[in-house]
Amino acid sequence: MTDYESVGPTIEFADPSSTLVEVDDTPLVLIHAAGLFYAIDDVCTHDGGPLSDGELCTEGDKPAIACPRHGAKFGLADGAALTMPATKATRAHDVVVEAGQVYVRLNEGDK
Amino acid sequence: MSATAASGFDAEAFEALKQERSAEPQWLAERRDQAWKAFEEARWPTRSDEEWMRTDSRLFKLEKFSSAPASETAEPETPLLSSGVDLAGRVDSVNGRAITSELDPELAEKGVIFGGLGQAVIDHGDELRVAFDREVVSPTYDKFAMLNAAAWTGGVVLYVPRNVHIEKPLHAISRLTGEGASDISKTIVVLEEGAEATLLMETASDNETAAGLHNGSIEIVVGRGAKLRYVNLQNWNNRTWHFAHQKACVEREGQLQWTIGALGARLAKVNQQVALAGSDAEAQVNGVMFTQGKQHLCYNTHQHHEAPYCRSDLLYKAALQDTSRTVWRGMIKVDEAGQRTDAYQRNDNLMLAKTARADSIPGLEIEADDVRCTHGSTSGRVDDSQIFYAMARGFTRQEAVRMIVTGFFQQVFDRITIESVREALGEAIGKRVQDLPTQ
Amino acid sequence: MATDTMPSAAELEGAGRTADDATNEAVLADINKYDFVTETKGVFKARKGLNAEVVRQISEMKGEPEWMLDFRLRSLEIFESKPMPEWGGDINIDFDDVYYYLKPTEGQSTKWEDVPEEIKDTYDKLGIVEAEQKRLVAGVKAQFESEVVYGSLEKDLADQGVIFTDTDTAIKEHPELLREYFGKIIPPEDNKFAALNSAVWSGGSFIYVPPGVKIDFPLQAYFRINAESMGQFERTLIIVDEGAEVHYVEGCTAPMYSTESLHSAVVEIVVKKGGRCRYTTIQNWANNIYNLVTKRAMAYKDALMEWIDGNLGSQLTMKYPAVYMMEPGARGEILSIAFASKGQHQDAGAKLVHCAPNTSGRIISKSISKNGGRSSYRGLCKVEDGAVESKSNVVCDALILDPDSRSDTYPYIEVEEQDVQIEHEASVSRIGEEQLFYLMSRGLSEAEASSMIVSGFIEPLVKELPMEYAVEMNRLIELQMEGSVG
Repeated sequence: MTDYESVGPTIEFADPSSTLVEVDDTPLVLIHAAGLFYAIDDVCTHDGGPLSDGELCTEGDKPAIACPRHGAKFGLADGAALTMPATKATRAHDVVVEAGQVYVRLNEGDK
Repeated sequence: MSATAASGFDAEAFEALKQERSAEPQWLAERRDQAWKAFEEARWPTRSDEEWMRTDSRLFKLEKFSSAPASETAEPETPLLSSGVDLAGRVDSVNGRAITSELDPELAEKGVIFGGLGQAVIDHGDELRVAFDREVVSPTYDKFAMLNAAAWTGGVVLYVPRNVHIEKPLHAISRLTGEGASDISKTIVVLEEGAEATLLMETASDNETAAGLHNGSIEIVVGRGAKLRYVNLQNWNNRTWHFAHQKACVEREGQLQWTIGALGARLAKVNQQVALAGSDAEAQVNGVMFTQGKQHLCYNTHQHHEAPYCRSDLLYKAALQDTSRTVWRGMIKVDEAGQRTDAYQRNDNLMLAKTARADSIPGLEIEADDVRCTHGSTSGRVDDSQIFYAMARGFTRQEAVRMIVTGFFQQVFDRITIESVREALGEAIGKRVQDLPTQ
Repeated sequence: MATDTMPSAAELEGAGRTADDATNEAVLADINKYDFVTETKGVFKARKGLNAEVVRQISEMKGEPEWMLDFRLRSLEIFESKPMPEWGGDINIDFDDVYYYLKPTEGQSTKWEDVPEEIKDTYDKLGIVEAEQKRLVAGVKAQFESEVVYGSLEKDLADQGVIFTDTDTAIKEHPELLREYFGKIIPPEDNKFAALNSAVWSGGSFIYVPPGVKIDFPLQAYFRINAESMGQFERTLIIVDEGAEVHYVEGCTAPMYSTESLHSAVVEIVVKKGGRCRYTTIQNWANNIYNLVTKRAMAYKDALMEWIDGNLGSQLTMKYPAVYMMEPGARGEILSIAFASKGQHQDAGAKLVHCAPNTSGRIISKSISKNGGRSSYRGLCKVEDGAVESKSNVVCDALILDPDSRSDTYPYIEVEEQDVQIEHEASVSRIGEEQLFYLMSRGLSEAEASSMIVSGFIEPLVKELPMEYAVEMNRLIELQMEGSVG
């Protein structure tokens, strides 16, 4: 569990829900959907605005979150930009659940 | 001083602060009350506000910071800007309160006021009231401005009477000490007609990892034919939140040279404005931004030509390392009265890492037809061949980058006529150069 | 059959005439070339106002498939949920006081003889019929109010597989091709007016150019708003396949009414590997039309997308054609010209988004403000992470002709990469006195000299236009300039 940081107990995150959390000074959106947890940067790569208020949806068969401003959709699992006007993925992070706690590890690789 | 160290900025803390400031004139206490009321009712700016669109302040939590004075003061580091300089006066502040305040007695005799604003408003309340009433920075501009107007504890005042020339520079340093400390300060500079002065201000954090808060306002009036050279080096640690409203009004034939060094802060959001309020006024604005780590620096500059025959010239240069981000938004606004304006703005960015990001948003709003307004902006990266060349001459990669960064900033340094300032900036930048990964 | 709503030259006669009045009359007379109203019967007019019922009615009239109705209804919800933009110009539209759909004819004609006489006259007056006869264009689409009333395409192009039809027909005849891109480049969520268009769109062009086919002459569309309080919401989709080339030209005019009309188009373009697309607009709407348009192109490997955007008319234009350079070697070039005169605000610009390495872009913007007009350049140049070795160059020049006018420049630049070269230069100036003096010393009047300087100022744009458009553009500029000095 090195580098993993707890963001709170699982019961605090309803299914489905998206919540703004903070890991190592970075704002992330933590998503609980269909029994799974995901964490992606709380940043829409189109205009840099926050995603956390966006609606959870699907694009094709992928679970996604839609940016509340211009509707760009990002894949929850990999942060991929699925629709215009976004063309670049937002960063996705590793999430594990252990003993009722949700842990997130920041993926510092790419922006 | 209040015995109980209040934490946060709640009503209780505000009462404690008023207690601490009980010697202040009544008009000022009233101003604070009004601002506090507005502060309590206002909402924090969000990214839906155009000005904050690129700056995410959601992780800023005011309650984590204390408005109380420092409990103990560590031995101060030597200031950078004043090293080797013969000063006419100096002010040292810790956590927003002046602990030292000195001025050449000859100048005091001529009517110059210089020192910590906290004491000055008690000693010179009537004279300073004019400056407060002028509201160069609007105390209700946003929630940060309201907090500043309500809860400032210190800062610097410089008042130079008519035709008094101060030859030697004046210096002020503001330090933050302790975890969660804050510097809520207000700086007032007034140069009366024909006055001249040089003011050097810098900031420092005693501890590299302690979270800090600066909420500041700077209000400058350069009177008719007066000349001010003003240097502002923001050199907090990278854990400090820096929110500031800064504005200068330059009156007829007045001259202002304003240099900003923006090196520190975890997140900085600064509005720096220059208003050319009388004809034939002149302002030169220089900015050096150098970032590392996850720093986010957002500087909004505004050159407002309200009168004819004025000149303004702005040059902001930013070099970015790591995953840092800079946002420069610059506006030249020319009113209908601003005929024969000559205005220029330029922003150059040097990208030192793939993961850094620079936003450059120049703007022109022009309502007069006989003007010359131009702006330019470039973004580029370090030229590899320059680094190889320097390394072939025996320099380390880090040294090579330092030279290149210094070279990049040279254009700004050349405009700064005070040698100690050039050296101090160079030194502060040098300390923040990271070894670049091989690319 | 035509009734001018502006005062005629005769009506202007009266006491206290000056030389200026005489000039103004001449100008008015010429401007009035576009300011005529065609009295038409119209086949169907939806009632004013916007709601799900109106949207359903439009879809039903058009006999659309279910998916399009769903798309429209979803877009209406998005439109209603989005706030009006707080930037740009003042938009004062009563959305309940607009006709969203007006069908002028029973169907589309392929021969001008079949177009109702009064509508054919309109296009005759505008010179469209003549241009086609002279074979200056390879295909024509003429849209009157909400529907395309005339369409043609040269036979050899049709034989090569080129599709040039109106978008409504494309839904029926080319559903797969259309659905692959429709609303994908500009989703309805993109902005309030894209959502509005997506809800009530009608007409517009659908173009497909097969691989390797190069169309030598432009395909032309002509948009005419005739009715008062009308909303025109055409929707254009252009697909340029690998190695293909097309030049599309659109013109827009409308008569002057006392109440505002609304034009809100969506234009989506895909230019595949090695393809080239040039899209030219000469926008000359009447000065009480809100022109709020979203235009965006995606350019793939080594493709070139060019927008040439001339904005002379309208009360308020907000339009920023964009090129997303999606793959290495893609290029985007945007030439924008705006002329704002009395009562006009041209908030025009361009966007370049570098999404891949080795992409290059260029924006040249020229704007002129006169008689209290306001022109704003608003642009974006964005280099995304990974778009290394990209180059962009943005040049904005503004000319202000008098102290009542205003010019703004807002060039947004966002760089997320280190290995890039982005340059931006802008300047605002007025006509130099030395220049004027020199020309006047050569015997030109001040008005002629100013006009000549302005022509020189916009020359880089005009020279990119097809000849007959260049002539038209110069003439429009002269019209705008006449009577402006003195």
